[in-house]
Amino acid sequence: MQSTLVRIHDLVRTFGEGETRVEAVRGLDLELARGEIVLVMGPSGSGKTTFLSMLGGLLRATSGEIWIDGTDIAALAERELPPFRARTFGFIFQDFNLLAALSARENVEVALNIAGVRGGPARERAETLGNAMGLGNRLDFPVEKLSGGEKQRVAIARAIANRPALILADEPTANLDSHHGAETMRLLRGLAKEEGTTVVIVSHDERLREIADRALWLEDGRFKTLQALVRDPTCGMLVDPAEAPASVELGGERLFFCSAGCRDEFLADNTPIGYSQGARPMGTR
Amino acid sequence: MSVPLARRQLLFRKGRALAGVAGIAAALLLVLALKAIFAGMQDRLTAYIDGSGADVIVAQRGVDTMHMTQSALPERTARAIASLPGVAEAKPILYAPTKVERGEKRGIVYLIGDESGGAPFPLAAGQRPRTGEIVLERALAERLGARVGTSVRVLGTSYRVSGEVEGLASITNSFAFVRRQELARLLGSVGVVSYVFVRAGSEIGAAELATRIEASQPGVTASTREAFARSERRVVGDMTTDIVRAMILVGFVIGVAVAGLVAYSATLSQLRDYAVLRALGLRAGRALALAVAQVGATVAAGFLLALALVFALAALLPGLTPTLVLAVRGEDVAQAIGVAGAVALAAATFPVLRVARIDPASVFRR
Repeated sequence: MQSTLVRIHDLVRTFGEGETRVEAVRGLDLELARGEIVLVMGPSGSGKTTFLSMLGGLLRATSGEIWIDGTDIAALAERELPPFRARTFGFIFQDFNLLAALSARENVEVALNIAGVRGGPARERAETLGNAMGLGNRLDFPVEKLSGGEKQRVAIARAIANRPALILADEPTANLDSHHGAETMRLLRGLAKEEGTTVVIVSHDERLREIADRALWLEDGRFKTLQALVRDPTCGMLVDPAEAPASVELGGERLFFCSAGCRDEFLADNTPIGYSQGARPMGTR
Repeated sequence: MSVPLARRQLLFRKGRALAGVAGIAAALLLVLALKAIFAGMQDRLTAYIDGSGADVIVAQRGVDTMHMTQSALPERTARAIASLPGVAEAKPILYAPTKVERGEKRGIVYLIGDESGGAPFPLAAGQRPRTGEIVLERALAERLGARVGTSVRVLGTSYRVSGEVEGLASITNSFAFVRRQELARLLGSVGVVSYVFVRAGSEIGAAELATRIEASQPGVTASTREAFARSERRVVGDMTTDIVRAMILVGFVIGVAVAGLVAYSATLSQLRDYAVLRALGLRAGRALALAVAQVGATVAAGFLLALALVFALAALLPGLTPTLVLAVRGEDVAQAIGVAGAVALAAATFPVLRVARIDPASVFRR
C-alpha cells in the first residue's frame, strides 16, 4: 500500500452571504495516495474548479483541512503559500496557459526560476524535460507557433519542472484531438506510475477513466459514488437516483431524469436519446 | 540569470511598446524642448552683454538689466568714470527698444547707439554705420529683406543699411546699431547716456572696479558683466516661469495619459499571464515589480528618445531658423528626469492596483 500524500477533511467552501450564499463545496473528505491518479468528474457548477483551486492552494477554504505531505495548507500564511505552491504543485490547464511572450523552453524555465532555480541548472532542466517530451527541435519556438499537442507537452514539462508531489490537471485533454489526448493521458500515467507523482484530474472526458485509479463524481459540492449513478435517458446526464428531481416507472423499470423537462420530453417522444440502451448503472470501467 | 520576463512581455507586442515609447517621448520632448528654447532664448538675450567686452556695466541707480528697463545717466558721469583709476576704457551707449520697418515688415529691436557702430561684434557683411546708416542683426535683415544698401525706417527716420552682424537675435527681438549722437538726436536726449560699458585695467578685478565706481559716482549702479547678465536672464526667467510651468504640466499630463494608457492596456492583456505566474508560485510583490518594471522601462526609453530628439533639434534648428536656439542644460535634463519619474509613478499606479487584485485561482476560469 502506497503512503498517503493528501488528506482532506470536512472541506467546505461558501461564496457570498445571506440570500446569495452558495455552498460550492460541502464537507469533502478524501485521501490520495502517492502515485495515484484520481479523476474527478461532475456536471458544470458542481464544485470541481473550487475543489481544485483549494487543493492547489489558490483558494482559501471556508473550513476544513487539506493536509499535503504533512502540511495543512489551510493553515499556511498568505506569504507562505506561493513558495509552497511552487515546490509542491504542478498545474496543467485546459487552455495550456502558457506565456505567449516566451519560448517553449522559457515557459518551463520560468517555473524553475519562480521556485528559486536559476541560470544554467534551470536551462539544463528545461532542456532535459523538453527533450523528454519530444520537443527537442521546438524548444526555442515561440509557444504561439506550436501545435495544441506540443503546447500541452510544454505545459506538462512546466508542471513537472520542480518535481512536484501533486499534479492538478484541469480538463487536460479538452482542447486536444484524440491522438494528442491519448498522448497526454500516456504522459500523465507515466508520471504517476514511474515518478510516483499523484495526479488529480478534473475532466468531463470519460476517456481519462482508462488511466485513472479512481473516478469520483462531484455534484452539488459533494462526492458521490459513481457506481450508484444512472444516466438520464433523455439528455444523457448522470443522475443520482436518490436525489433525481423526476422519475417514471416503465415496464417494471424505474427511469431517473435530471429534470421534469427531460421526463416530459421522454414521455412525449417515442424514441428518447439513449433509451434503446436502457438506463444502466455507471461507475465501472 | 532568470528568464527576462519583463523584457519579454514588454517587447512581445512591439507595436504597442513602440507607440508607448513614442508617446512618452513626445510628452517629455515638449518639456525638454520648451526648456531648451527658453534657455537658448536667455543665452541669446545676454549675447550682447556677454560679447560686449565690458567687465563692468554702469547704469542709473537701481538698474541692473536692459530688458524692459530704462536707464539714464549724465554724459559727464561717463567721462568721470573714464578718468577713474583702473578703468582701461569707458564706452557710453544709448539704448532704446523700438522697431525697424521695411514696407509692411517689421521687427522688434534693441537699438544701440554707440561710437563704434556695433563693435566689438564682427561684421558679417558691409561696414560700420556712418551718419544716416544702420547695422542690422543678420537674421532680422534676412527676415525684412533689408540687406546692405537697402533702406529701413526707425523711429520715423529712414536709414540706409550699411552692414550686418550675426548671433545676437532671439525669437523675441533683435539688435540694431547706429551712431550714438544720431540716436541721441532721435530720442531728444542729448547729453544723456543709458549705460557705460567699462573695461577694467589689468591691475584690478571687475568686482573691485564696480565697487570703486559706485563709491565715486553718486546715482549709479555698477554691475560686473556676469552679474548684469544673470540679472537679465532672471528678468526673462521670471516672465516665462508661468509659461514653462504650464507647459511642463501639459507635458506631464500627456505623459501620464499616454504611459498610463499603454501600461494599463498592456497589463490588462497580460492579466492571464500574471494569474498563471501567481499560480505557479510567483510572490505578489514580484508580480507587482514585473508590472512596474515594464512601465519604468517604457518611460525610461521614452525619456532617452526625447533627450536624443532635443539634442538633434538643438543641432538642426539654428540652421533652419537662426533666431531659434536651443540650449540643453543639465538642470533642465534633471528636471525632465523628475517629470519622467513622476510620469512613471503615476502611470504604474493603475496597473499595480490591477495586478495586486489578481486572483491566482482565476487560471481555472475559461
